[in-house]
Amino acid sequence: MRNIDMKRLLPAALALTLLASCEKSEYKIPDPISEISNDCIKRTLGPNIATLPIEFVYAMAIPNTKGKLAFAEVEASIPGAAGTFLEHRSFYTNSSGVDVPVTVGSPSVTSGAKTKVTFSVDTNAVSLRYYYIVPDEARGKQVTFTFSVTGSDGKTATMKMGPYDVSKMEIKRLINVSNSNLMYLSIADMTAYNAASAASNAAKIDLVYLYRTTPAVFTHGLVAPAADPAAYLPGVTLPAGVNNNTKVVKVFNLQDRNLAQLQYGIYVDDIDLQKVDFSTAPNFAIGLRAENGVWVETADKKYRAYVFINSVTTTGTAVVSMLRYDQTTK
Amino acid sequence: MKKTAYRMALLVFLPAAAMLSACQKGLPVDEDGLLITTRKECFVSNFELLGNDFVSVRNGVPIIDTVAQTINVTVNFGTDLKNLYPQFTLATDCKLDPKITGKVDFSDLANPKTWTVVSGDRQIRKAYKVFVKVQ
Repeated sequence: MRNIDMKRLLPAALALTLLASCEKSEYKIPDPISEISNDCIKRTLGPNIATLPIEFVYAMAIPNTKGKLAFAEVEASIPGAAGTFLEHRSFYTNSSGVDVPVTVGSPSVTSGAKTKVTFSVDTNAVSLRYYYIVPDEARGKQVTFTFSVTGSDGKTATMKMGPYDVSKMEIKRLINVSNSNLMYLSIADMTAYNAASAASNAAKIDLVYLYRTTPAVFTHGLVAPAADPAAYLPGVTLPAGVNNNTKVVKVFNLQDRNLAQLQYGIYVDDIDLQKVDFSTAPNFAIGLRAENGVWVETADKKYRAYVFINSVTTTGTAVVSMLRYDQTTK
Repeated sequence: MKKTAYRMALLVFLPAAAMLSACQKGLPVDEDGLLITTRKECFVSNFELLGNDFVSVRNGVPIIDTVAQTINVTVNFGTDLKNLYPQFTLATDCKLDPKITGKVDFSDLANPKTWTVVSGDRQIRKAYKVFVKVQ
């Protein structure tokens, strides 16, 4: 009997085991889709904020042998605000990178929570965009969507999306403020007032916008009415009753995408406003420039806000936007 | 045959021995796990103050007196003195005591903050006072 050389056999056995474990399973051609089918993606990133849209793309197809697409429908768990619609056009991108629409149906009809498009052309496959304008009643709640498509054969495909959290915070964009006129900013009303209007809304005035060239570091400021008047409100005569001691924390490089409407992929959400530490915050922020921002807490602690400086001029005007969070509502 | 085996052993064991010796412990470290060296230098070479927005609030360069062990820094008008981040640049191997772990309140201008610089050999300690003046 011949002796087996174990030293040689061992590597061979090992190699065999390795090869066996790498064996590929044979590829199988997947079954063709034989019924009406659909798919959906959510295109909007960042927090879902009341008054802003949430955008989806809903794709649907039916085999030619089964007929054509009849109608597509979206049902939201909370009816969308005015402006909610399902596109009746399908888009393709041309060689110049431009989205070109192709009309495939009649404009959508919204009835309550349902938005429907009826196809008017003979089509088997299409992708439609859906814009849901978040209604104010959805703030702090969750919203879900049911997308469905029905073919001419009467069969339906359905896809559920969500639930998605809707932020509690509110947004107000592009508020004009100016050094000599609209200089009283109200977080409660999310607007800027002139002196006369500020006097009648004195309790709601949280910040004073001012622009000073001396000292040179002052420039644009957002200052609480209760701040040291000689240092931070030079030349300002506050309307009667305007005296809130608002807390302000200056921020740099926080260009929230919804406020800035710029290329930055930064989003401020409820949790950010909840977590800002105002315990040692001052009541003024000066030396502000475009794309700066301030965290604000009102004197009564009812509201917290992030005020973003969209643009400034050297003539003492600025455009600001804000996200406001109400701390008193659950 | 024997020669080859000997060579093989050398090839395997020599690098292993070299690696083991490189891992040898014995150099002293302090309570923070930092290497205690032989350096005696003990001074602050630069100082910076950042605001809550992490932007410098200094107005001009800081005046560092390594003999008097003082740092005089002027900050911009309107600086929020309660929320500042100081940054020290120290001589090689030095460390700072107490450590800076976050925002520091400089609003009490009459009582300057003090930090102690500890030399690389941990034998020399020099206390620096930071005087802040608002523009």
